Amino acid sequence: MLSTADIRKGAVIHHNNDLYAVVDFQHVNPGKGAAFTRTRMKHLGSGKVIEITYKSGEAVDIVSVEFQTMRYLYKAGDNFAFMNNTTYEQIEMNGDLIGDDAKYLKEGIDVIIGIYEGIPVSIQLPKKITYKVVEAPPAVKGDSAGGNVTKEIVCDNGLHVQVPIFIKEGEEILVNTETGQYSARA
Amino acid sequence: MSSWKELKENPRLKKIHDDRIIILKSIREFFWSEGFVEAETPLALRFPGQEPYLSPVPVRLTDAGKNIYYFHLRTSPEFALKKLLGAGYKKIFEIGKCFRNNEDIHGTHSPEFTMIEWYRCPGSLEDIMTDTEKLFKKILKKLGKDSVEYNGKEIPARGKWKRVSMKKLFQKYLKADLDEYLEIEPLKKLAEKFGQTTSAADEYEDVFFKIFLNEIEPKLGIDKPIFVYDYPARMCSLSKLSVSDSRYAERFELYIGGLEVANAFGELLDPVEQERRLEADQALRQKLGRETWAVDQEFISVLASLKEKNAAGIALGLDRMVVLCTGAKDINEVIFSNISDQLAI
Repeated sequence: MLSTADIRKGAVIHHNNDLYAVVDFQHVNPGKGAAFTRTRMKHLGSGKVIEITYKSGEAVDIVSVEFQTMRYLYKAGDNFAFMNNTTYEQIEMNGDLIGDDAKYLKEGIDVIIGIYEGIPVSIQLPKKITYKVVEAPPAVKGDSAGGNVTKEIVCDNGLHVQVPIFIKEGEEILVNTETGQYSARA
Repeated sequence: MSSWKELKENPRLKKIHDDRIIILKSIREFFWSEGFVEAETPLALRFPGQEPYLSPVPVRLTDAGKNIYYFHLRTSPEFALKKLLGAGYKKIFEIGKCFRNNEDIHGTHSPEFTMIEWYRCPGSLEDIMTDTEKLFKKILKKLGKDSVEYNGKEIPARGKWKRVSMKKLFQKYLKADLDEYLEIEPLKKLAEKFGQTTSAADEYEDVFFKIFLNEIEPKLGIDKPIFVYDYPARMCSLSKLSVSDSRYAERFELYIGGLEVANAFGELLDPVEQERRLEADQALRQKLGRETWAVDQEFISVLASLKEKNAAGIALGLDRMVVLCTGAKDINEVIFSNISDQLAI
């Protein structure tokens, strides 16, 4: 049996006779006592998200998941297609399991896919992804006094992001996939 | 946060950084105006704390004669500040970096973070609650705000903040009388009722937090900041027992928007009892296979000199405070060139 130290994004946990993929986890030390691993995980069938708190070091029934770096290819109906960069093997993953992360996918980026018994169950995006700005309204003059004025632009994969008003169409920007926020010019 | 390039090209992150500077300045102004003095205590410690579940970062120091000395970076300035109380200081504060090993580096967590601690001797937990509330309100005023923000939600900070006992929270959110759950077996049954796992190795505190972290904490401080006080006595290794009910200990935590911001104790000043507890923690470290070191005898000796006094103190996470006061998305957005940025992970 593995322990909380083996919990990572995309790991699959056997909990109460069901399988869940870890969406997010966080170590918490309430006060100065014991440490806990607060784990948000998604039911592999229904997609329902639950939160379980493990004591750090506690045994956790983590099932064996193979993590592969794969390249995102295209969307096919409700599914998303990825290719293993070394074997060129292709797989399709259900959009429900990708959830909100789907909006960051862009043809050609590398992601880490967790595969359980031949089926892709989880995805980890790079922390920052570069996009090209394809639609940007012009900056409105006299609007920059607050220093934090933004406008919405559209990226080359259709993602909408709030950016500073000085960003122009055709520029490349970095977006932080953990916060969903503009990071800097690429 | 942020690389220099992000600060240069991202007005939102630059504003957060500018606000952090204002916050730091306001904190110092607040404490000086309240009669506190600023302490500066060592980062590198020969005898760090004994908290069984914290891992200090080891550092190796070599002198000119090539002798090697082993130290650890502090996880908190607590022992050193209490030694200054023993030296006769009555109101002290420190703002400084602390480090924790073996924790996540990505996302919402940073192994290098800034702690504000302050102590009053004499002092009570009520005094510390009042300090905390006044400090936040002063900072918000400087920033031209009267509310904080977390996870995109605004939390009003005006008016008197709530002060609620843990027992009342159990009643409200779990419909349970905490007095009946002061032993581990009934508490385990309660945890299982709420879908949590328990094991034979769980201590009382473990089971308590499995329930608390899931069923209560996320709901705390949503409409107004809240101080939660009176924790079950068996969970508080550095605090003294409540005078009115010895089943509970003098400890409080501040929650804002479901986030734990600060943790305070009515300080345990009994050297014999403190040494016993530290030795028990040290034994537990050994049992857990963690690195161990001697109990800091200077810390025990300072308690002997403070024994007849009342002291209270608090540790408040500055980075979390900055997140709340600036509306930043996570901890890493408020720490310039943080470890995650440096490693590019």
